[in-house]
Amino acid sequence: MKIDWWTLGIQTVNVAILVWLLKRFFWQPVATMIGQRRATTQKTLAEADEKRKQATAALAEIEKTRAGLTQEGEKVMAAAHCAGEQARSVRLAQAETDAAKLVATAKAAIEKESAVTEKEWAERSGQLAIEIAARLARRLNETSVRAAFLDWLLAEIRSLPEAERRAAAAAGTALEAVSATTLEPAEQERYSALIGKAFGVCPRIVFKVDPALIAGLELHGPHFTVNNSWRADLAQILADIRHGNRD
Amino acid sequence: MKSPLISVALFHLGPVPITAGVVTTWVIMAVMLLGGLLITRRLSLVPSPTQATFELIVDTVDGQIRDTMEVEPARYRAFIGTLFAFIFVSNWSSLVPGVQPPTAHLETDAALALLVFLAVIWFGLRAGGVRGYLATFATPSPIMIPLNFIESITRTFSLLVRLFGNVMSGVFVIGIVLSLAGLLVPIPLMALDLLTGAVQAYIFAILAMVFIAGAVGGAKPASDITSERTAP
Repeated sequence: MKIDWWTLGIQTVNVAILVWLLKRFFWQPVATMIGQRRATTQKTLAEADEKRKQATAALAEIEKTRAGLTQEGEKVMAAAHCAGEQARSVRLAQAETDAAKLVATAKAAIEKESAVTEKEWAERSGQLAIEIAARLARRLNETSVRAAFLDWLLAEIRSLPEAERRAAAAAGTALEAVSATTLEPAEQERYSALIGKAFGVCPRIVFKVDPALIAGLELHGPHFTVNNSWRADLAQILADIRHGNRD
Repeated sequence: MKSPLISVALFHLGPVPITAGVVTTWVIMAVMLLGGLLITRRLSLVPSPTQATFELIVDTVDGQIRDTMEVEPARYRAFIGTLFAFIFVSNWSSLVPGVQPPTAHLETDAALALLVFLAVIWFGLRAGGVRGYLATFATPSPIMIPLNFIESITRTFSLLVRLFGNVMSGVFVIGIVLSLAGLLVPIPLMALDLLTGAVQAYIFAILAMVFIAGAVGGAKPASDITSERTAP
């Protein structure tokens, strides 16, 4: 066994060249690529970590905002509740006012209607009373009734002021004596005498008949009228009732 | 069967005889260079399965350098990795019919051992300078200087003899069995020879790393070693 030194030298150079070639064309590029990938991975991890931190911060901000929104919502709800309560109170007060107005209006309408109804019924009562009085008067003794009304007429004339009596009698005009029923001539003369005596003079008296008087004897002059009949009395009563004077 | 102990020149380039082992080495070099070029032609950050496989190889070599030498692997990757790859491919080239592994010849193994010897000196000088490198021979005490010098030479020879003995014996055994027992009988032995070739490539690379680490670690200050160990 012997060593071929040429071969030893060539193989040494061969392996040295192979080391250099592979270093340049294999080991270095692959190692560089591994390094680049490692750097890229670390960069990506760093970015991911940064993104995660940002996301965590954003999440915290969102949680904070959400908490603020909840608080704000509670405030809004409280304000809305307060406003609602206020509006309800205002509406309630307004409704009470409106109801009071309606009640007052209704009361006024009812009172007005009651007054009208009362007046109507008073008028009807008056008419009924007139009818009742007329029927009763027809059943009474005419002579005594006439005598009573004659007395009341004479009393009325006597109660007139003296100047007014003399002025009525001195005028020369005829006075109208209106009765409910026709008077006999004799009675007319007697009535004329008594009326003249009451006036103190003898005025000319014309007798007329008006059944609407129901009963009574009225005297109408150019300047005065003596109402002395049930119609006048009932009319006065009715007027008093209408005006609320029931005395 | 041709004996691996005899290097027959295929042709001569002037006074230089070109043996079969040298030609095989050139072919292996061409194949490895072409493979490296093909692999690194389309490197990307998203690796293909092929790229991932070779990146795994590179990463494994780096890991071995880190674990064995306890330094960053960039400076030693090409030498250690190429040694391992060349010996591995050379040993397994016996799978090709008619091809004898270059490592079955003494000159190739001597060349590899010589390169390791030179690399130890080179990396030791780069790490600690002349004084630093020479100081490694005085560890653990100056008394050990002669022994360390002798050891630096004998361990180179041990590299040479170990690789040559294993590969050459494998070739011999397969050749003898093949000539005696026919076709199928040598197959288990060939498989064993492949295993031996891979293990020898690994052992050669590991021992080269140990020798270089001995020169580098002993040549430079302890603080440098610590900083290299803690570097990412």
